[in-house]
Amino acid sequence: MSEDKPHASGSVEPGDTSTRVGMEVLRERGLDPEELREKLIDAIGAEFTTYYYYTNLRMHLAGHEDYKEITEDARLEDRAHFELVAPRVYELGGHLPNDIRDFADRASCPDAEVPVPSDDEGGRLRVEDLTAEQVLEVLLEAERCAIRTWSEVCDMTRDVDPRTYDMAQRILQEEIEHEAWFVELLSMERDGEINPAGHFVRGEPGDAPYSTNRRFNDSA
Amino acid sequence: MITYEVELAVPETVDADLAGESRTIEVDEDEYVLAAARAADVWLPADCQQGWCTTCAAELLEGEVDHSAAKRYYDVDRRADLVLLCVAKPRSDLRVLTHQQEAMLDHRAANSLPPGRSKR
Repeated sequence: MSEDKPHASGSVEPGDTSTRVGMEVLRERGLDPEELREKLIDAIGAEFTTYYYYTNLRMHLAGHEDYKEITEDARLEDRAHFELVAPRVYELGGHLPNDIRDFADRASCPDAEVPVPSDDEGGRLRVEDLTAEQVLEVLLEAERCAIRTWSEVCDMTRDVDPRTYDMAQRILQEEIEHEAWFVELLSMERDGEINPAGHFVRGEPGDAPYSTNRRFNDSA
Repeated sequence: MITYEVELAVPETVDADLAGESRTIEVDEDEYVLAAARAADVWLPADCQQGWCTTCAAELLEGEVDHSAAKRYYDVDRRADLVLLCVAKPRSDLRVLTHQQEAMLDHRAANSLPPGRSKR
């Protein structure tokens, strides 16, 4: 009987490993999987660069230990977002750029650099006049960019690609929380205004309660 | 406050409600064209809304814009009449051809500039 009834694979030939049903079902529903894939590479490029830049921004919040802790949560959660979606890029027939410079170039959000000029010699940052307010502004605008990006991905995938949509909405939930944190901190730091984020502390730094991917190992 | 008229011409080939049509909206001098369009129920593509990713790129067919808020915009873009609507404030009445990200990416790649050079 099995010889008369090959596996039901739609337009994909049984055993064909050059095509993915996981992509064809998207195409059948009107979503271009290659376009989505490229969008995702841009989006996780931004998560990855943000993870890097937040590392540097956090270094420049000395004396504001509470700000550093919050920035650490956001920093680690942005790495979690990168790791959550990177596998999806491969499922959609893509790959990460081989050159990290290409990855950073195409990131969908601006570089979140420490907002000071650097010396011509050696590129040392001139941080004498840097304030926590300036750092918080950079952090806030980075989160806002991420919210826009993942909202776009949700729009592209809603009702069409539940797997990517699930990832994007999880990330979006955390990016919206991050924005609220930095709105609260900047409101007080810059304007002396109480503007609560309304959130409880994470269970552990960078907990990523919505978006944590399966850990590669306990140290991840 | 000065208000300008901005004509948004949507290419016939794109997947958009207004494909092949034009819509004229009013945009204040301190307002970005993209935000004004979306507020007027004209949904144009965008992502970062900080003048970086190029998703909102358009061709400036007529008029002048202020791009000073863009995070990544080059003189060669200006010379090619390519604009980023998310950070473009009108300085005159405008006519723009929307949905030009592919053209912007080709243009950036041809000039070895990001993000086009990494996506072509």
